[in-house]
Amino acid sequence: MTPLALLAPIFMAAAGAVLIPLLVHLVHKEKKEALAFPSLMFVRKTPYPFSSRQRIRDWLLFLARCAVITLVAFAFARPVFARRPAAAVAGEGGYEVVVLLDRSFSMQYSTRWTRAQEEARKAIDAIGPGDQLTVVAFDRRAAAVTEPGNVKAILKAGVDSLKPGDESTRLSPAIALATRMLSQSERPNRRLVVISDYQRTSWDLTDELSLPPRTEVVPIDVSGAVTDRSVRAVEVRRSPEGPARVQVSARITKLGAAERGVTARLEVGGRIIAQGTTDLPGDGGAVVSLGTVPVPDRPTPAKIVLEGDELRGDDTFHFVLTRAPVMPVLVVEHRDAPPERGVFLTRALEIGDAPGFDLVARRSDRVTASDLQGRRVVILADAGVPGGLGGAGLEAFVRSGGGLINVLGERTSERSWPANARALLPGNISAPADRLGQRGAVLGVVDQGHPALSVFSGARNGDLSAARFFRYRAIDTTEGVLARFDDGSAALTEHTIGKGRVLTWGSSFDGYWNDLPRQPVFLPFVHQLVRYAGAYREQRRSWSVGDALQPGDLAGVAATEGGRWSVIAPSGARQAVGGADAPPSLELRQAGIYEVRPSGAPNAEPRIVAANVDPAELDFATYDVLRLTNALTPAVTGATATAGDGLPTLAEREQKQSLWWYILAVAAIILAVEGLLARRASTNRLEPV
Amino acid sequence: MAPPTETNAGQLPGARFIDPNILGRIGNLELVARWVVEGFISGLHRSPHLGFSTDFAEYRPYVPGDDIRHIDWRVYARTERYYLKEFEADTNTNFIVLMDTSASMGYKHERLSKLEYAKYLAACLTYFSHRQRDRVGFVSFNDDIQDLVPPSARHLQQVLHAIDRAKPEGKGALARPLSRIAEHQRRKGMYLLLSDLYEPVDAVVSALGALRDAGHDVMVMQILDSAERTFPFEDATTFRDVETGLRVPVIPGKLRKEYLAAMAAHTEAMGRRLGEHRVDYALVDTSQPLDQMLFEYLVRRERMRTVR
Repeated sequence: MTPLALLAPIFMAAAGAVLIPLLVHLVHKEKKEALAFPSLMFVRKTPYPFSSRQRIRDWLLFLARCAVITLVAFAFARPVFARRPAAAVAGEGGYEVVVLLDRSFSMQYSTRWTRAQEEARKAIDAIGPGDQLTVVAFDRRAAAVTEPGNVKAILKAGVDSLKPGDESTRLSPAIALATRMLSQSERPNRRLVVISDYQRTSWDLTDELSLPPRTEVVPIDVSGAVTDRSVRAVEVRRSPEGPARVQVSARITKLGAAERGVTARLEVGGRIIAQGTTDLPGDGGAVVSLGTVPVPDRPTPAKIVLEGDELRGDDTFHFVLTRAPVMPVLVVEHRDAPPERGVFLTRALEIGDAPGFDLVARRSDRVTASDLQGRRVVILADAGVPGGLGGAGLEAFVRSGGGLINVLGERTSERSWPANARALLPGNISAPADRLGQRGAVLGVVDQGHPALSVFSGARNGDLSAARFFRYRAIDTTEGVLARFDDGSAALTEHTIGKGRVLTWGSSFDGYWNDLPRQPVFLPFVHQLVRYAGAYREQRRSWSVGDALQPGDLAGVAATEGGRWSVIAPSGARQAVGGADAPPSLELRQAGIYEVRPSGAPNAEPRIVAANVDPAELDFATYDVLRLTNALTPAVTGATATAGDGLPTLAEREQKQSLWWYILAVAAIILAVEGLLARRASTNRLEPV
Repeated sequence: MAPPTETNAGQLPGARFIDPNILGRIGNLELVARWVVEGFISGLHRSPHLGFSTDFAEYRPYVPGDDIRHIDWRVYARTERYYLKEFEADTNTNFIVLMDTSASMGYKHERLSKLEYAKYLAACLTYFSHRQRDRVGFVSFNDDIQDLVPPSARHLQQVLHAIDRAKPEGKGALARPLSRIAEHQRRKGMYLLLSDLYEPVDAVVSALGALRDAGHDVMVMQILDSAERTFPFEDATTFRDVETGLRVPVIPGKLRKEYLAAMAAHTEAMGRRLGEHRVDYALVDTSQPLDQMLFEYLVRRERMRTVR
């Protein structure tokens, strides 16, 4: 059987133009075009002879005109005689069919998944005795659900066993797998059925996808209009009321018409502890504030929950509710320095939020080794190495992973670092360079690719070169220079001791040797130096499905020893991470709360990981399936068009058959006949009856 | 403006006639009339002036160089001043055009409507008569008088303007306007009726009777479009009477013969009955050249003078 297929069926809509001759016919029939005449004194009424004969002639014309329009529309729709999709034809060999079934998160919407399964079953039903079909489910990755086979019950069972997950969509791996399967097949005919909602984010147009020659692509689009609410992000800020409380707000978006009075609940540990209401604009978003809530002592699973809609998975946003991270910092000032000299630095560190800085300031003659307890970073603000700390003690602090920032100024010189603390300096320190007469120096080179300065790499993230440096101490080193003054001398250096980092800044933070503290860049500059020196690693409150993370990175501010971990997924499934026979990292594949414990310690306090659907998966915009077809269908070449290499694709068949040409020729003939009929009818009408 | 082309109509040997469609492009009635009439007169071999008398116009003071034979000596006797007696141009009679402006006159099958043709004809004949020292007047009417310019030797411009502003509208009926004209025009004159005469012959004869009974000379030109005379229509369609709005379905092929017979009978009866009442009748086709109609007019005027 050779059913007729249309390559551009949309043109058949033009067949509706057959209404035009119908209307013309009816209007013409009813219209009484009156001919103005001076007087009807000698004109006698002679009624039109509406005989059945004339009506039949008009109907012939009408039918001829309708036929012409329909044929032209049909020709533009590019008809082609196509074999039934996967039906084997005797003498031509069977089909190798691969059904790609999208099971990404977006397929959970409304009845998409049901329709997709139904389409997959139809494709299975369509295979013939000599065909072979494989069902491949895909989201970010692709995997064959069934072995290539011909038993429809098994294939359908494979389809029925699937259900959409929380992962995002990527078409490329699925196409690659299908290409491999089709290429390995010895059957001459190949067909790829892609059942998906064709999200725009699922296919990067730059992906080079190509199927084996003469593979027919059958795209089946199960998308449709989408109306959806979703929680996209949660923000937790430090509350002015103290570290035990935080301010929580959530960003909610709406796809579709505006909606009023949308309520969001904050649930912590299974209890509703706050809720807020907002109005959502159509195809827009709004932020709903959930107020200030108390923070548990330890990281606790929390979620923002909206009233359910047709896509429930994005109505809940999981996150970890913890206290705002704090980095303990010790600032040591010179014993002779006026108190106001340190105000810029201490004020700047008091503002920090992510993390906040637990600041302790000491005079160099008052600081003791005990002040180092619990500190992550020590800042020697024009103080040198205090005797109370001692060079060895400070070096040990750094060697064990602590951070040190040397700030040079008028009260410090090389002598401020005793011999047992010289390792804490990157090199010799010169006498102060006075650039006051030249209206100050500027930073000539800044390594914005370095993590300590990368915060300034953006186009509008601040300009360190705006600061003027009237005096500074050049650092004599060639290693680890992160910034230089305009005369080439090092301004900021980094070197490591053991696990710790030492940053040395060649000018002061007190506003006397430079105007840096008065520049907008001062605050992010200082914060970033401290974060880097303390090896601060931001603890994410939530992750996206598809992210991979090292469980060892979850513990706290600093990295911990890696090892084997036991993970309980949101579904309750257990898996091992790390070690010899387990994946090295935890890949998040479900939305919800993961619990991570050290392997062999089931009673240990779990580390919480909250995962949510990738925001890209919530972009429901689609692309034209024709683009995919065109991208996947290689151009016909002489080499691939040879017989016996399988049947040509639908487009190739259409090109070869060129049915449209014959249809247009028939339309032209009918048009000529119509002209003759019209002339004859007109002549007959003029003859007296 | 491109020079008008001329055609040999063939009806009158030696005469060169001007296509009315060419005149339709000119627009200016006086120019058309002057052009047609002067051209026409230049082709005549005798003077067209047919005046019988001269009328006194005014006195003016004598200036050196004037012919002393024109000095009125009786005035000199009374005033002891020299005055010259001036005479108005020779004046023959009243010439009044009665133009039917009913809606049916607006009909045209091709380029020139009957009313437009009648306008040119009226303008030419008025100009011609004025040139012959006649007093010219004009009346337009449909079922009543629409516009009237009393006859005068100085009313050429008014007449031409009145002709120009005539528009086809309303139903046409001769009886009422002609009887009113006959009542008001005491002085004998010549009346030229331009109409398509879509009325029963008896009604036309009766209407013209009022003028004829008052002693006026009456000439009737029945103006018809060639389509009205040949009924060239092909498609079956509905005909609409432009005056009454009446709509009648017609198959022209079936009706043509009957129509032409009725129209021929009508014009024949019209000519015969009007002749019986000493009314000159001429059937004018809008495709006929204008100067040919001047010949018709001249011949009939000669005949009227002879008869008189």
